[in-house]
Amino acid sequence: MPAVEVDGLGKVFRGGGPRRRPVEAVRDITFVVEPGERVAYIGPNGAGKSTSIKMLTGILHPTRGSARVLGLTPWTQRRELARRIGVLFGQRSQLWFELPPRQSFALLGRIYGLDRRTTAARVEELGALLDSGDLFDVPVRSLSLGQRMRCELVATMLHAPQVLFLDEPTIGMDLVAKQRFRELVVWLNRERQTTVFLTSHDVSDVEQVARRVIVINGGTIIYDDRVAAMRRSVLSTKLIEVRFEEPPAGGSLDFDGLRVLRESGTEYKLVVDTRRRSIRDVLDTLLDTERVADISVVDPPLEDVIARIYGAQP
Amino acid sequence: MTGGVWGPSGAGTFRGAPVSAAAGGHTVSPYAAAFAAAAGRVLRRPGELAVRLLFYTVILVVFAALWSAAAAATGGHVAGYSAAALLWYVTVAEAAVVATKPRLIEDIGVDIGTGAVATEMLRPVSVLWLRLASELGEAAVRLAMALAIGTAFTWAVGGAPPARAGALLALPSAVLAVAANLAAQHAFAGAAFWLSDAKATWFLYQKLVFLLGGMLLPLQLFPAWLERVAWVLPFWTMAYAPARLTAGSPPQPWLLAAQAAWLVVLAGAAAVVFAAGERHLEVAGG
Repeated sequence: MPAVEVDGLGKVFRGGGPRRRPVEAVRDITFVVEPGERVAYIGPNGAGKSTSIKMLTGILHPTRGSARVLGLTPWTQRRELARRIGVLFGQRSQLWFELPPRQSFALLGRIYGLDRRTTAARVEELGALLDSGDLFDVPVRSLSLGQRMRCELVATMLHAPQVLFLDEPTIGMDLVAKQRFRELVVWLNRERQTTVFLTSHDVSDVEQVARRVIVINGGTIIYDDRVAAMRRSVLSTKLIEVRFEEPPAGGSLDFDGLRVLRESGTEYKLVVDTRRRSIRDVLDTLLDTERVADISVVDPPLEDVIARIYGAQP
Repeated sequence: MTGGVWGPSGAGTFRGAPVSAAAGGHTVSPYAAAFAAAAGRVLRRPGELAVRLLFYTVILVVFAALWSAAAAATGGHVAGYSAAALLWYVTVAEAAVVATKPRLIEDIGVDIGTGAVATEMLRPVSVLWLRLASELGEAAVRLAMALAIGTAFTWAVGGAPPARAGALLALPSAVLAVAANLAAQHAFAGAAFWLSDAKATWFLYQKLVFLLGGMLLPLQLFPAWLERVAWVLPFWTMAYAPARLTAGSPPQPWLLAAQAAWLVVLAGAAAVVFAAGERHLEVAGG
């Protein structure tokens, strides 16, 4: 049984008033996520990401189409589904601000039908894993955003959900907090086979957490492939970073299919159009004609790839 | 980490039953837990509680003087109530109203209008009943404190409650009054699912409770037509009923049953509004 199964799902917001037109936020999206997958569901602002997640978690009723999450229809079996999924909205809190997180966890444990001992054991384990146990007795309002988000993740994971929906989970976090958060999500996926469905505008979230990416734009899915395949299939370019022992002969590197992106003394950053010239050919030419001290070939940044995909019309 | 507390299969919760697998100890109803946690939250904000109780005490002092003067001017009684009975009336009626948050409808409306309620919809329990349990937990503490202070003050100023038999029913009646008030506020606030705002609803509701609920004066002091209107509406269950049981004569124990019936109606209305509202909810964006 798939973890998530979506078929022709669509949502039109009615607009609320005679002057406001209905808005079609999601149009006939279809995809399947298998158990244990780590999927990034990305798109520009207003693409329909959050609306999709709200339908998949049962908050919103769709206008058309069907969806099954762990075999349940989210909007008609919302409470039953809630026991089996975890949802973390980066811009909303599920903790009680007046309470220390530990008391929020205790209450959430009861809401999810866990006994005290199990709740306490899980809180302790997750606290150790996140190195956050010392935060659990501080009132939520006194925590930094990164600290609070770690507590939010504990709250989300307390009932051991089988599918984790993360909507902009790292928004506002510092670099270290983001890194820890991503590591934890990947750990949960590997150790517990928790299916991860992530939306984020942070490309590093996509690169470090997801193995598959689904891109939605204008309410329609425009790309669905493995993250590793994304660069190759979308951009036909590679970057070469090279340091010469002395400046290139003639002062320039003028080859067909090669463009200088940046130069600084003997250091160059070059872009190769692999449709016009192979990487091997470029490397051979450089090594034969110039005195190369160091050279490396890298993929273009994922931001460029995603920007190219976003630019595609649905 | 071990897999013991995460389900029988350890790694691989997809194969296990993570929640039902939790064994040992006992579980408490989520609504009872929310009630208890909310009661604890009020005690954690002693400043807010103290300000509210101070405001309540000031009202009692003012009304003690007011009703004494009014009763003196009308031969010792106003509409069958002595000055002391009127003070007891205000003590209980005000305590029942002051126990609930003054802007609860507006707060609920903000949660609905901004989509914050979506987080609550992701829990495997009723959004409405959990909210009501939580509000009741907070209100129970405030009610107990207000009644304790009010009883001490009024007993000292005006003597024992004039209707002692009825006063025994005042405590359960006050609890029913608070519950009915909270249920009605949730039913009114549910309008925010369609209007995205509950400010206008809050303003209207507050005035209805103040006036037709008999919070400041007994319904018998109203003009006859207004008294008839007040009896038809549910607001008298939120202040008048426990106050009348404490201060009025003869005792009217049927008020308690009528309150319970109204509570069922109001809670049912709130449930219908929230169920329809949750189906209607439109929250775009993050």
